[in-house]
Amino acid sequence: MITFKINDQEVSARPGWTVLETAREHDIDIPTLCFHPAVSASGACRLCMVELREGSWSKLVASCIYPVAEGLQVFTETERVRNVRRWVFEMLLAACPASPEIARMAAKHGVTSTRFESHDPEQTCMVCGLCARVCEEVVGLSAIATVDRGVHKRVGAPFAKPTDVCVACGSCVTICPTGAMQSIFDSIRGVPATNLTQLG
Amino acid sequence: MSAYAKTGVFLCKCGDKIAPFINLEQLEKSVGAEPDVAHCATMAFACLKPGLEQITQIAVDKQLNRVIVAGCENRLMLSKFEEHLRPLELLKGQIDMVNLRGHVATVSDLDAEQKATKSAKLIAAAVAEMTALRPSSLTRARLQGPVVIVGNGIASFSAAAEMARQKIDYRLAVESADPGLIIERIHETYPGEQSYHPRLQKSIQEALQSPHGKLLVGRKLAMLSGVTGDYTLTFSDDQGAHEKFTAGAIIACLDAQFTRPKPGFGHDGKTVMIPSEMESLILRSGPPKGTVVFWISDYENGQPEFAALSAKSAWQMAAHIRQTSPAATVIMLYNQQMEVPLTAAERAMNRKLNLLWIPYDGAMRPTVQDGFLTFCNLSDHVEHELRWNHLVLSPERMITGETLRVARILGLVHKEGRFLTGHHARVRPEMVGREETYLAGSARLPCSLADALAQGRRAAAKTAEMFRKANAGELFVPRIVCVVDPEKCIGCGQCQELCDCGGIGVEEGPGGGLPRIVDPMVCTGGGTCAAACPYHALVLQNNSNDQREARVAALARRLGPDESMAFVCGWGGLPAADIAGKQGLKYDPRIHLLSVPCVGQIDACAMARALKEGASGLVLVGCLPETCHHSYGLDHAWARVNTIKKLLSLSGFQRERIALAHADLNRPEDFVRTVDSFTRTIAAMGPMVRTPEDQAKVDALYDLIKHNTRVRHLLSAGLRRPGEDTYQGDQRHALDYDRDFSAVLAEEFLQQRLLQVFRAAKGPFNLDELTGRLHEDPNQVATCLWEMVQNGQIGFTHKNHEAVYALS
Repeated sequence: MITFKINDQEVSARPGWTVLETAREHDIDIPTLCFHPAVSASGACRLCMVELREGSWSKLVASCIYPVAEGLQVFTETERVRNVRRWVFEMLLAACPASPEIARMAAKHGVTSTRFESHDPEQTCMVCGLCARVCEEVVGLSAIATVDRGVHKRVGAPFAKPTDVCVACGSCVTICPTGAMQSIFDSIRGVPATNLTQLG
Repeated sequence: MSAYAKTGVFLCKCGDKIAPFINLEQLEKSVGAEPDVAHCATMAFACLKPGLEQITQIAVDKQLNRVIVAGCENRLMLSKFEEHLRPLELLKGQIDMVNLRGHVATVSDLDAEQKATKSAKLIAAAVAEMTALRPSSLTRARLQGPVVIVGNGIASFSAAAEMARQKIDYRLAVESADPGLIIERIHETYPGEQSYHPRLQKSIQEALQSPHGKLLVGRKLAMLSGVTGDYTLTFSDDQGAHEKFTAGAIIACLDAQFTRPKPGFGHDGKTVMIPSEMESLILRSGPPKGTVVFWISDYENGQPEFAALSAKSAWQMAAHIRQTSPAATVIMLYNQQMEVPLTAAERAMNRKLNLLWIPYDGAMRPTVQDGFLTFCNLSDHVEHELRWNHLVLSPERMITGETLRVARILGLVHKEGRFLTGHHARVRPEMVGREETYLAGSARLPCSLADALAQGRRAAAKTAEMFRKANAGELFVPRIVCVVDPEKCIGCGQCQELCDCGGIGVEEGPGGGLPRIVDPMVCTGGGTCAAACPYHALVLQNNSNDQREARVAALARRLGPDESMAFVCGWGGLPAADIAGKQGLKYDPRIHLLSVPCVGQIDACAMARALKEGASGLVLVGCLPETCHHSYGLDHAWARVNTIKKLLSLSGFQRERIALAHADLNRPEDFVRTVDSFTRTIAAMGPMVRTPEDQAKVDALYDLIKHNTRVRHLLSAGLRRPGEDTYQGDQRHALDYDRDFSAVLAEEFLQQRLLQVFRAAKGPFNLDELTGRLHEDPNQVATCLWEMVQNGQIGFTHKNHEAVYALS
């Protein structure tokens, strides 16, 4: 057993757990977006940042990939953490202004506007890669991936064409935290040929 | 409590996603009170390491052999739980999930206590299914004997060469073992590919000379029997003598053939020809002189998908002609819809060789005359004439003759078509690498020589991988596959006809009968065959009909009089419901969702069971039409639903109590509309009236569909919808068929109800008594009774000059 402190509360964990898992086990809330228990953690969205303190020295780490250790001093609601979280939310709001999920989550943490310029008002995808990870790790295929790099990075199938590799299981749509996969999905599996899709 | 099932139920709070919506304390209490639940616990996050370790600990302490996690989507999370619990010998099938978050917590405005009650019903149903599970033991797959490479396709050699490299014994069935002859003949199936011949030569040498290989020259495949790992192949030679070989695996290398174009193209084989004939000409008498026109005519052939392939091989041949005969003029004429399939390097070479590519307007089909070809120019819309000395057309490609025969023997031909489709229904990726008969070559889909050779290599590499795994004891028989009970199987063959994966074969029985066997390494576990078996001889192990019925019955018994249930297909309805739940869409809480891998997997008796045990309605939500991931599951479900509808109206109930619906996973709003529409229909009809007489009718309905082999036979034979165009040879008159089927149902249903009366009370009864009890027409009852006497089901004697009937 490893014992350490989160927000001055004594917690115990086993080797191999992460800070996030330990916090959740003890009902301590840390916001996450790109984390899902079905797939490996990637630490991409930086929303789960927590502060580690050691004397007068401190650092910020992504709790979803930070392993527990004896005597850690973890803080989830310090000024520094909140500041980073606000920045991340503001960047997310600018990156995917059309996602109601992100707007809701940001509002919950007190962020309702962004100081950054938004390039695409329709964008909902924040390129966290959960869809690609679930396709590879749970479904066992790689029908979907991130394409291009840097600021041009987006989610899609090779050559932006529907792919045969996709078995249309919908795991990516289910796992998507922002609801973006719903609009991307048809471009990956190909639109089903049917006239039953418009019932209303 | 069950003697050997020890089921643990774990409720997940999922942070603030489930706990505030569902009263978990109440739920834990009511689930814990279920007699078949050995342990029930609530945890913060069942899916994270702390939760998983806790589940493991409890499973060890309480010696659990079944685990149910009530939390979120099984589609995403189940494999994680399976992986973590495998060391405890809790295998696939022994772990189940109930989606409380997506199917209960967020989808209605019920209060937390009501939601706990609904959750308890769903969990109790899952527990009942787990209790009914008879888990199969874990078996290792064994592969005995060499790999046999059949089909005589060119990919045989690359496959064999790869086998030699991997040091696995193989037998190579070929027409000829002379490399020169093989290369000489290759242009008949892969023209214009000289550049690959050296590489091919190397493969052939490797394949023929390896100490791991044995050659079967000039023998034809005559028969195949057995299952993966233990095949017997019978070959016949010229004299008709048969010889048997055993094989652990088979690789089929089959090439498609070229056929002559239709008369409209003016093909004569001398001046107007197909590429293989052109290459023969070059081989025989050197490159042609004068103007050679290659017309890429695949669009006009009706095979536009192969235009790029034809263009590529035509270009290679054209380049060869230009290089060897500088005096010749070579022109490529192509439909403007096609993109010229040349790489940058090839384009540079094309410029150097001065090969002309002329596009034409596809709206006007080019016309062949003697020495000229008329085509419509794209830019000026003038009909130009192109002068030629030799005109080369694209061939029509299809599989015929020997290739088709071998493919049939190997069971690769399921549907009428020009090419062999991929052998397997693609259902779940864990099946990838389970194919026993690997297929390579252009018979699968026309491809270039390089592609065919690569396919052969890949097939061999995959087979080698399978052998390596099997030898290391790491290859296991999949958990959820069909098994045949030889005691019950009468060899009617319905299952084999329905099976799309090719997993069902024929086995010679001891008495000369032909019962079926299932190849577990091929079976995809779709289970529509098992649901269609008239004798319940085919069982989907670890996911059987008994389990399904137990689940349905447990849920139906707990439903209120106005509540109904839905089967949601794992590819359509379930993901749509999951996503609706995730988005917080609201729908009628009176519907209770049961997830199934495919609606085609549900036996009609499981549907009848729901109505018998207390559900007031049942809707099956499958995929969209023609998108079934298994084998026509939706159509099979339709036939079964239709049968239940007929029986419902015979029993005096509304046909609308059962329905089939479609859902697309990406349109959760449509799913909500479907559910609301169905629940509205049920609500308008009110609860099913269940007086003892009515209940007796529903019971008879269930008994009929469960045990009556005549009805089950007819049902499984008529599983396709009339009007279906996949099996055109099998069309029937929709109305005649329906009338005949309804008449049989009416007759059998009346017999079933009579049997019910005879079984319930000691007879004998006379006609008046029976008619009075059933409220049916005396004439019909009399006819029915006479039939039953003839069949020996009942006997009759005379009492006071009147016939009286009793069970014989």
